Amino acid sequence: MKKVRIGSGSAYWGDMLDPAVELVKNGDIGYIGFDHLAELTMALLQRAKTKDPATGYIPDIIPWMKAILPTCAEKGITVISNGGGANPEAGGDEVVKLAKELNLTGLKVGVVVGDDIFGKLDEMRAKGIKFKNMDTGEEDINRIRDKIVAANAYIGADSIIEALQEGAKVIVAGRVSDNALYVGPLMYEFGWSFNNPDWDLIGAAITVGHIIECAECCTGGMSNMWKVAPRLWDIGFPIAEVYENGDAIITKTPDSGGLVNQWTIKEHLIYEVHDPSNYLMPDGIADFTALKLEEIGKDQVRVTNMKGKQRPSELKVCIGYRDGFIGEGQVFFPWPDAYEKAKKGAETVRERLKKVNLDAEELRIDYIGVNTLHGEVAPEPTSELNEVGLRVVAKTKTKEEAEKVRREVTHLWTIGSVGSSFGVPLPIRPVVSLWPTLVPREEVPTRAIIKEVR
Amino acid sequence: MKKVRLKDLAYARSGDKGDVSNIGLMAFNKENYEIIKREVTPEKVKEHFKGMVKGDVKIYEMPNLDSLEIVLYNALGGGATRTLRLDQTGKSMGQALLWMEVEV
Repeated sequence: MKKVRIGSGSAYWGDMLDPAVELVKNGDIGYIGFDHLAELTMALLQRAKTKDPATGYIPDIIPWMKAILPTCAEKGITVISNGGGANPEAGGDEVVKLAKELNLTGLKVGVVVGDDIFGKLDEMRAKGIKFKNMDTGEEDINRIRDKIVAANAYIGADSIIEALQEGAKVIVAGRVSDNALYVGPLMYEFGWSFNNPDWDLIGAAITVGHIIECAECCTGGMSNMWKVAPRLWDIGFPIAEVYENGDAIITKTPDSGGLVNQWTIKEHLIYEVHDPSNYLMPDGIADFTALKLEEIGKDQVRVTNMKGKQRPSELKVCIGYRDGFIGEGQVFFPWPDAYEKAKKGAETVRERLKKVNLDAEELRIDYIGVNTLHGEVAPEPTSELNEVGLRVVAKTKTKEEAEKVRREVTHLWTIGSVGSSFGVPLPIRPVVSLWPTLVPREEVPTRAIIKEVR
Repeated sequence: MKKVRLKDLAYARSGDKGDVSNIGLMAFNKENYEIIKREVTPEKVKEHFKGMVKGDVKIYEMPNLDSLEIVLYNALGGGATRTLRLDQTGKSMGQALLWMEVEV
C-alpha cells in the first residue's frame, strides 16, 4: 500500500532549528511542514510590512531554509511553510534568491496568496458582509473599522495542492491553516480531491495534521510525560507515516529525545479542540471520537478509523485591531512575612493609583508564588512562604495611563516594606485585540504563483 | 463516599482559541473515565473556577480516548493578545482543574 512520510518542523515562530535539521537528515520523510503563525503574529507582521513593504514575512524562514534546503534538495523532500505571513510574495522572492546562492537551479518555489483580505474589507462590507464577531456576537465591525491592522482568512489546502501539481518543491504561504500544511501534501500524493471527495480520508488527513502540527507538542513536549520523557533537550520532531487507506503511524526522528506513546498523542488530539466530533478546518470537519490508538512499538502509535465530514462553506477570518495599552509592574518580597508584605504593597499601590486618578478599563493584582496562575482556584498557603511577588497590571486606553501603573509600582521600591526587591522594569505593551468572524468561502479566492530558480 | 482530587484520576492539558479555554481531561483508565464522566459536570466546573470563567462551560465525551473535552467560554480575560493574566494562553487552566475533588 502506498505510504507517505511527513514531518513537522516547527510549532511557532521562534522554535528550535536543530530538531528540524535532524528530521530532514534522518527522518526518511518526503515532506516537512513549518507552522510559524499564531493568532497575534499576523498583526505584528502586517505592522512590519506597513513600515517596510519588503518585509512582513517571518524573517526566520531564510536561515531555516538555508539550513535545510541543501539536504531537502538532495533527498527530494518538499518543504511547506506558512512563514510567508503578511507578505508571502516577498518571502518567496527571498527564498528564490537564497536557492540561487545555494546553486539549486531549476528548483520551483510556490507562493500561496489570497488569505489577506485587509485591502478588501470595505468592498466586502459594501456587498453586505458584516463580519459578525463569533465570540461576542457583536453584529458589525463599525466600532473597530478605523483601528483594524490586519484581516486574514484561514485558508485551506487548495492552492498548496495546486503548487505541488505544478512541481513546487518549496511552498511559502500566508495564513493557510496550520493543518493545511499537512492536508495539502497528503491529498496531492494520494490523489484525494475536493471535486470527488472521500470525507473520511480527508478527515484522516486533518486528524494526522492536527496531531503533528505543533511539532514537539506530540513527542513529549508540553506533556504530562515530563517526568519520564528522556533527553528533552534533544527532542525529536514528529513524523506521520500515512497510508492511502487513511491509517497512520505517528513516530519521531530516530535516536532523538522525547517520546511518542498513547498519552503524547492523546494530549495533542484533545489540544485546542472544542467539539471533538466536529473539528472545523477549512478543508473539512474531522471527528476525533471514533478513532483508535495503539502503541505498536517504541515511539510508534498507530491511528486508525479516522472520520470526516464535508468542509464548511465559510472560512474563519481573524481581524486584528488596535485596542489600547497594558501597563505592568512587579516587586518581590522576602521572608519573613513575605505574603503580608506583598499584601501591604498591593494596598499601597491601589491608593497611589487612586491619587494619580488612573483611568483603567481593568486592573489586576496577582501574588506571584500564590495565585498568579490558578487565580481564585488556588487555596491560601498553609505555611509561611520564602518569597512572594506582587504583580500589578492594568489595561488602559492611552499609553500615558498605562505608564502611571508602571511608575506607581516602582514607587514600592522606596515606600514599600523593608526588603522590597525591584525585579526588572517591564515596557508598556500596545494591545492588538482579535475579532474572529466567518466569511463565505467564495469571497476568498486563493492561488499559487510558481517562481523558478534560474 | 471517598473523595479524591482529579489529579489522582486523570491527566490534563489546556490551550486557547481567543477568549475560550479548552481542557482535555484524560482518565488514567476506563474505570476512572466512568468516574470523571459522572462527576465532572458543567455546573461543578463553573463553580470550581469561581469567578474565572465568565461564560458557559460545555463538556464533550470522547469514550475512545477515555477523555473529556471541557470548553470554558469567556475564560481568559478577553484572549491572549489583550488579557491581563500572566498565563495569557491558559496553559495552566488544565492543572487548575486537577484541584477539583470528586466522589469515587
